[in-house]
Amino acid sequence: MPVENNVKILPKSVVCEESTLRGDITFSAGCVVHPSATIIAEAGPIIIGENCIVEEYATIAHRLADGASYDTNNILSIGSHNVFEVGCTVEAARIGDKNVFESKSFVGRGVTVSSGCVIGAGIQMRTAQLMPENTIVYGQQALQREAIEKQGSQTLQIDFLRKVLPNYHHLRKPNYDPKKARSVI
Amino acid sequence: MEIPDTYYSKDEYVETASGNKVSRHTVLCGSQNIVLNGKVIVQSGAIIRGDLANVRTGRYCVISKNSVIRPPYKQFSKGIAFFPMHIGDHVYIGEGAVVSAANVGSFVYIGKNAIIGRRCTLKDCCVIEDGAVLPPETTVSSYMRYTAKGTIEGGQGNPYFVPAAMQDEMVNYTKSFYEHFVRTPAPAS
Repeated sequence: MPVENNVKILPKSVVCEESTLRGDITFSAGCVVHPSATIIAEAGPIIIGENCIVEEYATIAHRLADGASYDTNNILSIGSHNVFEVGCTVEAARIGDKNVFESKSFVGRGVTVSSGCVIGAGIQMRTAQLMPENTIVYGQQALQREAIEKQGSQTLQIDFLRKVLPNYHHLRKPNYDPKKARSVI
Repeated sequence: MEIPDTYYSKDEYVETASGNKVSRHTVLCGSQNIVLNGKVIVQSGAIIRGDLANVRTGRYCVISKNSVIRPPYKQFSKGIAFFPMHIGDHVYIGEGAVVSAANVGSFVYIGKNAIIGRRCTLKDCCVIEDGAVLPPETTVSSYMRYTAKGTIEGGQGNPYFVPAAMQDEMVNYTKSFYEHFVRTPAPAS
């Protein structure tokens, strides 16, 4: 594979060393990545917005389409305040802000997730579609409806994790400071 | 019914003084906060998050491959708190299960790929079917079976869903699982 690992971590994010990161990945400020999470940037760079949580066994993949090759302009952009819970697999084409992917959910390629969506635990979404804002997918039949109330914010959890995780884990050091980078240029 | 022997290589598992058998390929975060009360098997790929809160398991528990034991959290107006998690004796947790329960009683069977939501309470002798999804804050009482369809069945002495001898069955099952989980014998040279 020609892609070399190029992981940029902005200050204030907590990325555990035991996570698997492959390809060109950028973590914005305040992200929390738990141990044994997997992020694979195969088809192009992944940029993860501020204050996202990626839990254990969660997989975020930017997979190559058949016959395609790595393309630096093919960016998978993930918005801010998203939560990827234990064991979820996300290969979506684009992800907005404030979404929750619950445990063991699967979001396939071609799905575009807007903002404020919740994919319930164990739900598989494989067909290409655009999820309107505040959609909730729930239950055995994967019913969809619009959220009645907004999702609570995850900032409190992030604050807690940011305090606790450094006490127990080896972290990848933030290696990219936008302020300094600007002064270099 | 006799369980066939499961072999593990000597290099892969660590056996502690109290008889716990823990794979080296597990992620035990915050190990000082994890108490395994003896004769517990933790198989490879399992994750126990002791860093978030204390985790206690009783005797003869089986934590299968790729399962995640994760203390539950609750959000308050000021910050969040992770709660300690207690697991009773003779509990079987199937492969790939995600357990975020506040309390798991004794003699509980949790199937493969089950998802136990945050702050659930599983009472003694209950069964969670394979692939069941428990929403947060669910209580499954004794002798009840939580099905993959999402219904709670049994109870009232109904033996069709959970056997009346659940306690003995789980004791036998976990004990024999432990006894048949043996080190590969050294090749005779």
